Amino acid sequence: MKTSLKWLKTMVNAPVDTPEAIKDFAERLDLTGTAVESIDTVGAALDGIVVGHILTREAHPEADSLWVTTVDVSAFNLGADGAPAPLQIVCGAQNFNAGDKVPVALVGATMPGGMQIKKAKLRGIESRGMNCSARELGLGDDHEGLLILPADAPVGAAIADYLGLSDTVIDLEITPNRPDCMSMLGIAREVGAVYDLPYSVGREVPAAPKGKPVDELVAVKIDDAERCPRYTARIIQGVTVGPSPAWLVERVTAAGARSINNIVDATNYIMFELGQPLHAFDFDTFTLDKAGKAQVGVRAAAAGELFTTLDEIERTLSPDVTVIYDGNAQGGSGATIALAGVMGGAATEVTDITTTILLESASFSPAHTSRTSRNLQLFSESAARFERGVDAATCEEFSLRAANLIAEIAGGTVCEGVIDVYPAPKEQPVLQLRVGKLYDLIGAEIELVEIIGILTRLGCHMACHDRKDGSVPENSICHIMHGSDCVTEKLAASMHDVVIPIKPPSWRPDLEREIDLYEEVLRIWGMDRVEKTLPGGRGRIGLEAPEQALRKRIGASLRALGLNETMTYTFAAPDDQERLSMPLPEHQQPVELLNPMNVEQSVMRRSLMPGLLRSVAYNMSRGVENVQLYEDGTVYAVSEGHKLPKERALISGVLCGSWAEASWNAAEQALDFFDGKGIVEGLARELALAKLRFKPLAAEDASWLQPGRAAEVYAGSLKLGWVGEIHPLVSAAFDIEAPVVAFELERAALLNAARPARDYKDVSPYPPVALDLAVVVAEDVTAERIIQTITSAAGNLLDEVRLFDVYRDDEKVGAGKKSLAFSLVYRAVDRTLTSEEVEKLHSKILRKVAASTGAELRA
Amino acid sequence: MSLLASIEQQEKETHAAIDAASSTAELDEVRVRVLGKKGSLTALLRGMAEVAPEERVTIGTAVNAARDSLEAALAARKTTLESAALTQRIEAEALDISLPGRAHPLGTQHLINRLTEEIVEVFRGIGYSVVEGTEVELDYYNFTALNYTDDHPARGMQDTFYVVDRSGDVAAVQGESDVMLRTQTSGAQVHAMEEQKPPIYVLSPGRVFRRDVADPSHLPQFTQIEGLVVDKSITFGDLKGTLDFFCKQIFGPERKTRFRPHYFPFTEPSAEVDVSCGICNGEGCRFCKGTGWLEILGCGMVDPNVFGFVNIDPEEYSGFAFGMGVERIACLKYNVPDLRMLLEGDMRFLRQF
Repeated sequence: MKTSLKWLKTMVNAPVDTPEAIKDFAERLDLTGTAVESIDTVGAALDGIVVGHILTREAHPEADSLWVTTVDVSAFNLGADGAPAPLQIVCGAQNFNAGDKVPVALVGATMPGGMQIKKAKLRGIESRGMNCSARELGLGDDHEGLLILPADAPVGAAIADYLGLSDTVIDLEITPNRPDCMSMLGIAREVGAVYDLPYSVGREVPAAPKGKPVDELVAVKIDDAERCPRYTARIIQGVTVGPSPAWLVERVTAAGARSINNIVDATNYIMFELGQPLHAFDFDTFTLDKAGKAQVGVRAAAAGELFTTLDEIERTLSPDVTVIYDGNAQGGSGATIALAGVMGGAATEVTDITTTILLESASFSPAHTSRTSRNLQLFSESAARFERGVDAATCEEFSLRAANLIAEIAGGTVCEGVIDVYPAPKEQPVLQLRVGKLYDLIGAEIELVEIIGILTRLGCHMACHDRKDGSVPENSICHIMHGSDCVTEKLAASMHDVVIPIKPPSWRPDLEREIDLYEEVLRIWGMDRVEKTLPGGRGRIGLEAPEQALRKRIGASLRALGLNETMTYTFAAPDDQERLSMPLPEHQQPVELLNPMNVEQSVMRRSLMPGLLRSVAYNMSRGVENVQLYEDGTVYAVSEGHKLPKERALISGVLCGSWAEASWNAAEQALDFFDGKGIVEGLARELALAKLRFKPLAAEDASWLQPGRAAEVYAGSLKLGWVGEIHPLVSAAFDIEAPVVAFELERAALLNAARPARDYKDVSPYPPVALDLAVVVAEDVTAERIIQTITSAAGNLLDEVRLFDVYRDDEKVGAGKKSLAFSLVYRAVDRTLTSEEVEKLHSKILRKVAASTGAELRA
Repeated sequence: MSLLASIEQQEKETHAAIDAASSTAELDEVRVRVLGKKGSLTALLRGMAEVAPEERVTIGTAVNAARDSLEAALAARKTTLESAALTQRIEAEALDISLPGRAHPLGTQHLINRLTEEIVEVFRGIGYSVVEGTEVELDYYNFTALNYTDDHPARGMQDTFYVVDRSGDVAAVQGESDVMLRTQTSGAQVHAMEEQKPPIYVLSPGRVFRRDVADPSHLPQFTQIEGLVVDKSITFGDLKGTLDFFCKQIFGPERKTRFRPHYFPFTEPSAEVDVSCGICNGEGCRFCKGTGWLEILGCGMVDPNVFGFVNIDPEEYSGFAFGMGVERIACLKYNVPDLRMLLEGDMRFLRQF
């Protein structure tokens, strides 16, 4: 809400006379609930333009239409002796004489149009400044000649100050619960409440000459009072549509509107001043009945009805839209002429030739207005007010002020009376404010006189006599005040038990419950005055749920394993799964947005991979080749017939390049499948997963992975996810040329399989015996199988088995074969093993390995 | 030469040899030659049988004395040599410690999650538990049960991402839906109040969505932490004290807080909370746009209507709720110039934290 302080000052004596005072004022508003979004000085654009006195006027020797003037600008120009000296200015205007006072733009000044004034030579004569017209100052369209100022204008005064153009406009954030603050009157009232100052509506509007009775010209019908609680109509005859007077232009401009013509400006002015949106129809566009009367109605639009708003756009309406209609049109079935409270129609718009105005001042339902705005994407100052709620109680009073204003500035007469359809005037509720309860909720004991003072200043009053039966509640302040001579004593004794019956004003629809009054008292009294305390509750314990603890463990483990946590967009492109070559079960649908920001972000992601691969590409494109990222994030899928999707948390990672670039003491090692697998193994160890297993993934089961470098991850029989190298074609689809190692694990599965800690195993004090075992096996025999055979054959005397070499050589090992070398460490927990014992066990292991895998012992 | 003189001579020569030994190996040679099994002095002791009985005591004493003295000298010399050798080795092993250390891959935590954990820990310390909700939420939990009117502007499709409702229901406003990406984690409060009986002290961190174009100061998805307290005799003063404590924990004990009345549908009275600017200490600077304050939280006393939706009696219980954007706090704490960096995954950015 743009608030001109100059205007405000005419309504309430706000302390805003200096820039420092304005800063304090803004802070005070901030601290009482009206946030100040900006403070702008207007008129400042006229810096460097002063009142000048034309001393001489001589014809230009070289140009017929130019004049050479000398202009006194007081101390703004100094002669060689340091005394004020007149400026020589060449000027093309014809409407002035020596001795006139005019605005002078000094060298260095910037005109409102952006032109900078420089020292110049015009046809050989030096000119140091510019004598200005009204238009050059942005003060109107008159550019016939210089703006001649009154003879008493003080020479050298800043023109903005002299003409009173300087103003400060503060932009206030009005919260949705405060429709009353969508007007200057409301702001003035709020300022009055904060500073305990009287306020008024300000500018007087004279009563207009009366015309013939309005009910001879128009009738009003409301079809649905829920959509329109009150509709008033007035008629102003004999108006002349034309430009607005300067004061009106200035005010509507300060409020943020554009000056259109006197009628539109007058209705906008009343809306900004009082908060009542108005609509002016050209009365002559109405269809009249036999008696010469127009019929105005309010009803729901027909489904699919077409209507052209005054912005010349044809719109399709639904029955949710409330419309104003001309009841006599179309043979009495009525034609829509406006979208109630949102925008008028092109056909009934006020034009240059309009002479009779039908002035609508009504109250429309916030919900319908808001939905109409949202559905038609049509936002107006009027709709912004009806959406919050316009006080039905004042429609008629404000309409009269508007009609008088129109007559004042556009001429004409206001028809006598008003058509006022107000089926069910709203009765204001009486709220019982329990002082003790207020104290309990706020945590501060606010003086009774302050509570009453604040609420009264906001327009509430104590409703002692408002109860229909004349009774007053027990403990009511009224009871105490009227029932005892010793008010103060009684109050002091039982402050907590006092109840104040409060009737809020009609313009405060947000004050409908006792709690609403607490808020008013607190904000005006001052939140800063409430002492800080901590809750004293007994029954609280800060708990961490198992899944939260697990998330932390997973994150800490992955970081210890070298991965960097990232976050990517949860939005995805519809074809992301396809690009990833990762099909999903057909019964699962993606979560689609109805109103996405763009197509690339129009569904919710179903895998973390596309986002992570994009981050890899992002790094590559910026010359960062070593990428190690993980994300703990959500993916979404929904089944047909369901409202809510299933949200699954995945733990995914991508690795690209190497851990680090080559260093003076470490060679660079390209990351491959086994780095990914190593991370999964490390995580499994940290989460104490039992029986971690990797199963090769066939090409047809994981088309996004490179065949032969892909595995499924299991804990026992529970599937956790996959690890592998991204298929080169998929990487290419994400603009990545380097190999990418990746994994994706289900967090729920990890939670299921994770254990608080691994099992205890005896730590042997006895010496180990280490023996190597090297075997040659066929390529299809996996290392995992040999290790399983070794461990099951060895029993509990085998402390450790470690694969330390894999070797292939067509000649030495044989084609289609590989040599695997293991280091076996034997150790018992209860004795030193003898060499016979170990050798016997070692040869048993050898036999078993040979028998089950066809391995031959390698020399 | 008498035997005694020979012992004396030998002792003297050996001392000289010990002193002359330049390494522990040489020293050992001397020891073996004189005191070893076949050493010259050892031989003398072995030959005691051939010494006249009356001289045995004298000779024996002399030999033993010589041996003790030599052993002591050997030990001393050994210590000297070893220490010299160690000094030499240490000198030879000196490094250019300015060479970079051996790198171990150690990952980093995302700034937002790190900050979220930090904030959660502050509140866990004063007895709050964490509750988490889903990111796709029903209108009822995101708006209705939080006392938003049907026509509240936040429900507009300019602000809220609506999701295709696959149950077949049709929304009253075109383009909207009963299902949406949650715009706030406040819905988790409603779930918490449905599922728990007071006293309730919960914190609800999570991802939320608003329909903003990603730019340096906006993201369509960001992280919010909401807190809720429902207990007997909770006051606005308790809310102030709690948030003041929180701000001092996160931003530093010298920071101040300020409460400005505001409006939220689900709290009343409501306020926005500012923390004093850490750059100018509240004097006003460019960072705080001259105000001396930085806005970080929204809060208020739980509206009785919200209690009505979850069957908690506002005459018996009162409570407060608060919410904050983690990205905003991250920007204030770490001066991140562009929020989009948080979602790009640039290693050079991530590895800074």
